[in-house]
Amino acid sequence: MTDAIRIRSLTYRAGREFALRGLDLTVPSGSVYGFLGPNGSGKTTTIKSLMGMLPPDDGTIDLLGHRVPDDVVPALARVGYVPERLHLYPALSVDETMRYHAAFYPRWDAREGDRLKRAFALRGDALVGRLSKGEAGKLMLLLALAVRPELLVLDEPTDGLDPVVRRDVLSAIVDYVAASKATVFISSHLVHEQERICDWVGLLDDGRMVAELPMSEFRAGVKRLRVRGASAPAGAGDSAGAGAGAGATIATLPFRVLARRTLIGSDEEWVVRDWRPDMRGAFAALLPGSTLREVEDLDLEDSFVELLSAARARGQTTTDGREAA
Amino acid sequence: MYYYTDTLSDGGMFDRIDPRSPTPLYAQIAGRLRVAVAAGELRAGDALPSVRALASQLRINPATVAQAYRELEQDGTVEMRQGAGTFVSCVPTERKRRDRAAEARRLVQEMLAAGTRLGIAADELSRALHDAMQETRK
Repeated sequence: MTDAIRIRSLTYRAGREFALRGLDLTVPSGSVYGFLGPNGSGKTTTIKSLMGMLPPDDGTIDLLGHRVPDDVVPALARVGYVPERLHLYPALSVDETMRYHAAFYPRWDAREGDRLKRAFALRGDALVGRLSKGEAGKLMLLLALAVRPELLVLDEPTDGLDPVVRRDVLSAIVDYVAASKATVFISSHLVHEQERICDWVGLLDDGRMVAELPMSEFRAGVKRLRVRGASAPAGAGDSAGAGAGAGATIATLPFRVLARRTLIGSDEEWVVRDWRPDMRGAFAALLPGSTLREVEDLDLEDSFVELLSAARARGQTTTDGREAA
Repeated sequence: MYYYTDTLSDGGMFDRIDPRSPTPLYAQIAGRLRVAVAAGELRAGDALPSVRALASQLRINPATVAQAYRELEQDGTVEMRQGAGTFVSCVPTERKRRDRAAEARRLVQEMLAAGTRLGIAADELSRALHDAMQETRK
């Protein structure tokens, strides 16, 4: 078993507006997987399906080798889950909440729970209903970690927390990963946070996976080029909308042009994926008459925005719905 | 087991680790440590923080820290002693000089790239550098 999570062709309709549309997602064991997507793209719906809370209309979900939802129970005992919203009883104290939670998890580690309680400076007799947002966030993470999970599933674990608490939460997650080699599946729209800790990235938009690849490839492969003398009509679209002429040449390039913009003069800015360093020297041969003036690295957030807008532009020009790579 | 985490972080050595930089994080960490050794900030025998402690402190993937340490071990900057931790090796003076020169080159390349983006030529940058050095000397 090399994948902690494996989702294939997952379809789930939630009302008329929103749906997961044939979602494929693979989280390799031992990875820290950043599940990125704008608000409303379907991250929480995916996670709820994964945890067996929403039965799929179509497709399959495997969680730690168990088919979801039919066989989800034995898997859940090995998963630490931090939901998007507080799911605890406000009238219980922190200590009572921990004891209550422990009863459901055979792997509960009381010593680890106490250690985290001290590390997070949580008072055992404080009522859950009286906790600050930051304290509640820490308590939810404590409950997920003290289960000693093989897989941590975190739904926006730092959303709405102040920077200090966010650091504590992320440090605790990293510390656990370093000690346990657990797999982490972490959803967020806070791209910069993910950039630090993740080694896999999945980018979701409108219920579909736009891109899923190792962080290093993501970082290395998406670039912004400055090109001079590319004679093709510069449209907003990529090869799909560029029409005849040099557009045909661009379509045969060994990398994919996601977006083109005209700059001042005859310079154009291209955003490409599947770029390799050796293409720099070969550029003039690939596209005669043009010069590559600069290759600029994009950070995760820029890449994220470019990939999303490219996917959306394609969604408008194609009807077969064949998206993503 | 927390080694010199505090010393290292108080020194601000990793303050400017930047996940958005085109240089991979592991190379940034390895680079900082290599420069710290070259500049004498870290000395032979000093212990580095454990992978777990440094990863947790910087909130980055432990594999990234481990990769940085492996790179430093391979080029002889540190040695990993089984069960004891990672320690700064005795790096020859000549190599320290080379490492400092490499760091200086890297800084200059960054500056040149920034200049290119803004349309400022290398000789203008060079003049500005020269002027700035004059001013600091005064």
